[in-house]
Amino acid sequence: MRRLALPLAVLVAAALLVTFPIWSVPWEGSRYAISILRDMLILAILALSLDLLVGSAGMPSLGQSAYFGAGAYAAAIAGQRLASDDLLLGLGAAILVSSLLALAIGAVAVRAAGIFFLMLTLAFAQMVFAVAFQAADLTGGSNGFSGVRRPMLFGLDFNGPDALFHLVAIVFLAVLLLVWRIRSSTYGRALIGLRENERRMRALGYDTTRLKLSAFVLAGAIAGVGGALQAYSIRFVSTNDVGVARSVEAFVSVLIGGASTLLGPVVGAVVVLFIERVMPSYIAFAETLLGLVFIIFVLAARQGIVGVVRVAYARARA
Amino acid sequence: MIETSDLRRGFGGIKALAGVSLKVAEGERRAIIGPNGAGKTTLFNVLTGELEPTAGEVRLAGENVTGRRPHELARRGIARMYQRNELFDPLSARDNVAIGVAAAAGPYRPFSSPPASELVAADDLLERVGLGTRAATPARALSHGERRQLELAVALARRPRVLLLDEPTAGMSPTETARITELIASLDRSLTLVIVEHDMDVVFRLAERITVLHEGRVIADGTPAQVRGDTLVNEVYLGKVVA
Repeated sequence: MRRLALPLAVLVAAALLVTFPIWSVPWEGSRYAISILRDMLILAILALSLDLLVGSAGMPSLGQSAYFGAGAYAAAIAGQRLASDDLLLGLGAAILVSSLLALAIGAVAVRAAGIFFLMLTLAFAQMVFAVAFQAADLTGGSNGFSGVRRPMLFGLDFNGPDALFHLVAIVFLAVLLLVWRIRSSTYGRALIGLRENERRMRALGYDTTRLKLSAFVLAGAIAGVGGALQAYSIRFVSTNDVGVARSVEAFVSVLIGGASTLLGPVVGAVVVLFIERVMPSYIAFAETLLGLVFIIFVLAARQGIVGVVRVAYARARA
Repeated sequence: MIETSDLRRGFGGIKALAGVSLKVAEGERRAIIGPNGAGKTTLFNVLTGELEPTAGEVRLAGENVTGRRPHELARRGIARMYQRNELFDPLSARDNVAIGVAAAAGPYRPFSSPPASELVAADDLLERVGLGTRAATPARALSHGERRQLELAVALARRPRVLLLDEPTAGMSPTETARITELIASLDRSLTLVIVEHDMDVVFRLAERITVLHEGRVIADGTPAQVRGDTLVNEVYLGKVVA
């Protein structure tokens, strides 16, 4: 019975999440909550992708929005140019373009480590931003890309806000499941090995450059999926989606929530968007609060929320 | 098994290796001794591919491997017990070794948990180095002596053909020194050992041949008895240590 308790709880939580638009109807703030929660899930996907690098492999990237934005543009542009509403085509284009971009940038960036890796990822992301800004024929430039086609799959229309929420929630759960599996796999353990001791990894025969590049591409592909969902959600792609602010949002989510934990990036994304989007309606200077929260975590609780809870739980049991 | 010819490596104006030629046969147990700064660690760094030689050649089992990268040499059978442990600190002793065991099959298995066979192999190795009861303990929580034992197990995890031991007894108590020395002595005879060590008791216990390095050159090479009797060696090295 106890062995079934956790999987059962997870299933119930997943079902509650996907059906949120249905059971939240009586609540008057429901419409607003659906859109906020949707954005939280999309940021969570981006943060989960980033944590594979920052948390697992010890590669602090500040350019994750480049792949997120590439995915958003790819899904939008592929749909428009091919006059297709196919969801799988859009997601496929997003994954293809974002992972190819990550492969090209990663091939250079993974040769550096630590702060230099961080600066390189940032510099490349700024280049991607500049291209998105300048290539107005393709991306709409500073006006943004409007009129993203609605996604359809097997005759199901994900156009309405509720249907779109179901889609985002399901993809989010799929990404969470994927990351959970990777973290406990031989591959995930090798990424931790990279983070903890690259010299030993090399001495054991691991091609660490290739291993890092594979993680970079995988993270880029997942970020691209998040970007595609973002494009579908607001049916618009702006240069903000490739901008450094998005990267920072994801980075802060990972650190506040707890790097190298499965749920940390998710919790972090919820907290960050709650402060950024919900709090301003209630208090002044809410954005300043985010900075303050971030500083507190950096100074006093580097394990993040999930890390702190985990330690407290372990202590309570001992 | 491993052979170098006229190996040179400089750092700025300093010649850390000034033409080192040596030949270690398969299954041989060779000690490399010499005062600090003689070039022992530089030699190891070149043999593992972590440093490129300025000139000269390294051959492993007949193949010219000069300039190969560390992971390529590891795949060809070179392993190293570092002087300062290179471990995965937060991971359990078992996982430290298991990462080494898994290296042969490679890391690209994103959907499967580490197979039981690899974990069993890791536990067997821990048992062999005397850490059988510490498998679940994080590496960082082990004592210094235990960490050295774990470092040895990790170095052995990939089933190397050549094991480079960089001061295996560094910082150990006499009891710990005796234990790790016997552990090394009990390793499979087919494994080629190259040992850098300052403790001459350990050297004479383990080595079949001894190479003496001084200022980046080989100044003596022979059986322990020959090296002990060499006047030059006594002058630059042994004289100070053994008295």
